Amino acid sequence: MTASAMIATQAGEFRAAGTDLSERRRSGVSKGPLIDISATSDTIGIHWGSDGSLRVGAFTTIAAIAGDARVAAAYPGMIASAHGLATPQVRHLATLGGNLAQRSRCWYFRNPHIACLRKGGPDCPARSGNHLYHVAFDLGPCVAPHPSTMAAALLAYEAKVITDQRSSLTISDLLGDGRNGAADNALQPGEMIKSVELPSPLQGERAHYKRAISRTHAEWPLVEVCARAVVKDGTFQFVRLAAGGIAPVPLRLAAAEAALQGKSASAANIASAAEQAAAGAKPLPMTGYKLDLLKGLVRDLLEKIAE
Amino acid sequence: MSTMTINGKLAPLPDDPDALLVDVVRDALDLTGTKLVCGAGVCGACTVLIDGEPAVSCLMPVRAAADRNVTTVEGIGAAKLHPVQKAFMAHDALQCGFCTPGFIVAAAAFHDSWRAAKGTAAPTREEIGAALSGHLCRCGAYDGIFRAVADACAGRFDGNDVLPPRMEARDKVTGSAKYTVDINHDGQLEGVILRSPFAHARIGELDLAAARAMPGVSAVIPLLGEDHIVRYVGEPIAAVAAKDRKTALLAIAAIKVNSERLPSVIGLEEARKADAPVVFEKSARKKAGNVSEGGGSPASWKGNIRGPSAAFSKKPKKVRSWIDGARAANNPLLVEGTFRTGTQQHACLEPHAAVARFDGDRLTVHVSTQAVFHLMELIAKSYKLDRDKVRVIADHVGGGFGSKAALGVETTTAIELAREARAPVRVAYDRHEELSVTGYRPATEMKIALLPSGQGELKALSLTAHADTGAATNSTIAALARLIYPAEAKELADFDVISNLPAGAPFRGPGGPPMAFALEQAIDEAALRMNVDPVALRKRWDPDPNRQRLYDWASSLDVWRNRKPVAAQNGRYRRGVGVATGYWLYLWQPGSKVEVAVKGGRLIASTATQDIGTGTRTVIANTLAREFGLEPHEVEVRIGDSQLPEGPGSGGSRVTASVIPPMLLAITQLKAAIQQSAKRQPIPGSNAPWREMLAVSPDLSASGVRPEDSRQMAPGIQSPLKQAGFMGWILGWMMRRFSNLAIGAGVPSSVQIVEVEVDTWLGHVRVVNVHTGIAVGRIVAPALARSQAAGAVIQGIGYALYEAREVDCRTGDVLSGGMDDYRIPGIADTPIIDVHFDQGGFDHVLGGSVGVGEVATVPTSPAVANAIHHATGIRLTELPIRPDRLVAALKGRAAA
Repeated sequence: MTASAMIATQAGEFRAAGTDLSERRRSGVSKGPLIDISATSDTIGIHWGSDGSLRVGAFTTIAAIAGDARVAAAYPGMIASAHGLATPQVRHLATLGGNLAQRSRCWYFRNPHIACLRKGGPDCPARSGNHLYHVAFDLGPCVAPHPSTMAAALLAYEAKVITDQRSSLTISDLLGDGRNGAADNALQPGEMIKSVELPSPLQGERAHYKRAISRTHAEWPLVEVCARAVVKDGTFQFVRLAAGGIAPVPLRLAAAEAALQGKSASAANIASAAEQAAAGAKPLPMTGYKLDLLKGLVRDLLEKIAE
Repeated sequence: MSTMTINGKLAPLPDDPDALLVDVVRDALDLTGTKLVCGAGVCGACTVLIDGEPAVSCLMPVRAAADRNVTTVEGIGAAKLHPVQKAFMAHDALQCGFCTPGFIVAAAAFHDSWRAAKGTAAPTREEIGAALSGHLCRCGAYDGIFRAVADACAGRFDGNDVLPPRMEARDKVTGSAKYTVDINHDGQLEGVILRSPFAHARIGELDLAAARAMPGVSAVIPLLGEDHIVRYVGEPIAAVAAKDRKTALLAIAAIKVNSERLPSVIGLEEARKADAPVVFEKSARKKAGNVSEGGGSPASWKGNIRGPSAAFSKKPKKVRSWIDGARAANNPLLVEGTFRTGTQQHACLEPHAAVARFDGDRLTVHVSTQAVFHLMELIAKSYKLDRDKVRVIADHVGGGFGSKAALGVETTTAIELAREARAPVRVAYDRHEELSVTGYRPATEMKIALLPSGQGELKALSLTAHADTGAATNSTIAALARLIYPAEAKELADFDVISNLPAGAPFRGPGGPPMAFALEQAIDEAALRMNVDPVALRKRWDPDPNRQRLYDWASSLDVWRNRKPVAAQNGRYRRGVGVATGYWLYLWQPGSKVEVAVKGGRLIASTATQDIGTGTRTVIANTLAREFGLEPHEVEVRIGDSQLPEGPGSGGSRVTASVIPPMLLAITQLKAAIQQSAKRQPIPGSNAPWREMLAVSPDLSASGVRPEDSRQMAPGIQSPLKQAGFMGWILGWMMRRFSNLAIGAGVPSSVQIVEVEVDTWLGHVRVVNVHTGIAVGRIVAPALARSQAAGAVIQGIGYALYEAREVDCRTGDVLSGGMDDYRIPGIADTPIIDVHFDQGGFDHVLGGSVGVGEVATVPTSPAVANAIHHATGIRLTELPIRPDRLVAALKGRAAA
């Protein structure tokens, strides 16, 4: 990137496909200058490493990822996540990088007439107001859950993110720990996501994804979980659980993972580990229900994996 | 300048970085089949193909379309109709048609790729549901869409053209049907309204000068009432007409408003408190809106509480003493409970919109309205214009559901801006406006007590309803419990709770669904306590002859006969079956006229009514064609124009019963005139005597006026108001006098049997099967009546499970102003729907038919709740039954 382009990026908002940004432009939530960014050969497409690892360019559309049979075989949890988000007509446009860098779906943030932390305001109106769809792990001043379904999936797959300024960011490095109420991620001003790398899948691992919603399709998740596990000889050898919709950033459910590690894949063990999914939760007055859904999802996915 | 190829032609793209593809397609290229609805990629109405793949053009910057191939609905069936278009027509997979072009584009793409991969195998409902999950249809045409897509994929529509059961179906599947938002006059300006950011404020100074001085701005007008007080967030303050929306928005932002905040109160709980700020001082009460189809009766009004309206009570003191006695005696049969329902938005896909144009002293207004004729009357009166100088047009209307029956701010603003700007002006609400200030079905809190007698009769019923009506009054919920399940005594009281929220409005069977939600669950509970089959108990307590037949039908259904005991399962997924009953009034509009004519050998029926997706065009065409032994497509129907003979509004399920009788009278006259003027009679034994006579008939016309229903009634058929005695007579008189509505004899009725599956882990309810039995007399347009009945169930499922307006209870901001936060049912939420029409009961009406729109949606939410109770043993008393409420109830917690 040239020096002048660097200065420009610091003064404007990146636009790739614009599926998130266009709505905010129309409503007036986003008003500043735009910087249109386009794919280059190293920022688009699906690239396999010789070790079976995967690099996906940030400009690859969600539909292109979801429709790739080899990716589906290797990373079924990520593919199910890609199929589960938004709608077919959005998935054909929206990019992986845009999905990771999209802004909050909080209904206070999206209303151009209401001030909030994400818009430079003094406090979070959802915390003291209507936060029915907000966090159940209250980790920071802003109580909007992170909206990126792909981020939760990539967290489960322990993926690394490469930007034009840094390499090998974890999802936590990319999105932060949820304590910065002013930002949706921890990217530097002008920093652009270029690609995402997934380590090669483990031998015999299985994975599933599911979101809890009121309808059947096409709804922002109340809670979503991407689960991976290796079950060998009836025992959990490896478990990764990542949840979205419950915290300002996607969360690894470490206590539930630990509860299963080395344990037999019985329905009883799964049920008791699912109870651990809510360890450390701090629900808001209106979001206690999300913990029930979280436990239900973990149980559902692990039972499917253990089948 | 960059370009795209659209429907095979090169088109330039603007340089504006904020230009979106949908706007270029609609405004610059006038390809108005592509619709803008949600602006957020949720509803799919704007779907186009980009290099063959469906994409939402509302979220697509034009830059992304450069050098791409774009196909809109106009390009899908350009040469000849696509199989999917024919299948949608044949299966009546559409109602108002506003979502149809988007569905067609995506379904055609799905069809083409499916056929390429799988030949003529039919896709499953799950596959179709997933493929079309990015589309929403507010009418609920999903049942037909499933069948259409499956049959098209199976190759059943590869062949010849089809004759659709719906008259205007071809225009709707090709995108050529013009709605109000599609009207584009030369020199037309865009009008935008500045709305209050405060729930309650006195507006001092309003400085319009800066806005007026902006280039591209043609008119700026104030919209405040004389007291300069705004009473809800979103109340209009001023409006601008400018060359485009962007300029108008800039001008709106330049208006300086000096305001003094006043104390405000939001919602049912707060507004009832003794120290709550008062929304309407006495002098301002006439500004309040109306949430019912008829005019209001007087009621006491203290602070923010208007009521009780209790005229439909019967021996209310007895009710109180009997129920107090039963409670004291721990009578196990006494059913008591508090039920709450959510605020349901109409969420019409075509927003409230009007395009006003003056030509000299003549005013033409295209309006997305349910009442072209009545609107013409109101406009003429408001603006002191002669009626023959005002013309209201609505060729196609993208949904109404009760919210488009009045003279709205979009229409008056368009007129006033057009007058000021001396140019045509369009005002079309954006989605946030549509989902916040255009009315809603008010939320309610209902306290019910129901007491069976020792002999198993219904002895006493008490229902008190408080409705969250915002800046409006006249909610009628409890009163509706008078006209079903006669009891020795009933205590029925309605209260409006007024607060600093936008005004509620009539919504499909106003008051009916919430009343049924409380009453039908109380009946269900009584049946359980009495150990009686819930259908059998209704049959015992409800003597209405129409519903007696429906109860027999319901109790014969396998799903009902084979149901298990309550809460017999304890796994994760539990199935249950529930029943509920609904009714609506048979309303018709006095003075409705229909003209029928033969012109150049062709039959034409004309009346100033409109088709909001209900099928009015087809009802008229089918009746006319049938009487002359023709096919419906051989006759012409003229509606949607106030210059035609006075026709009914599309509200209160009144249209069918208002237009068929006068049309039949006119047809009789026309036939006589044709016969009289015939030079020779048809050949004896002709198969088509009228066809022959029409071909040679001179131009003739005849008209009929809606007659009174003065025929002798069959036994048991009487006005439902008779049950309400003298008060019923008064109500009937008032409805006629003030709302031009007559309440006829016989009661349109419905009974629904619903099967659900409850996922107890994820709090998810799937409605599996619905059997909807409906008695509205003779069915004139069977495919369309079925569509409406199925759509009513789907809207009822939305009310039961998903839909709730959410507001900030401090500021009064509507938070669910987008279609992602206001959740209407999608195609994959559609159950298998079995529609049963019992075609008797209305032989005393000329033609034998009454309307179906409202009665068909009344019982769905309590039937779902009763089914959930049957599955789980838990009674859900608050709508919508969302996952948060269901998991809380299953754990025995109170939901937040």
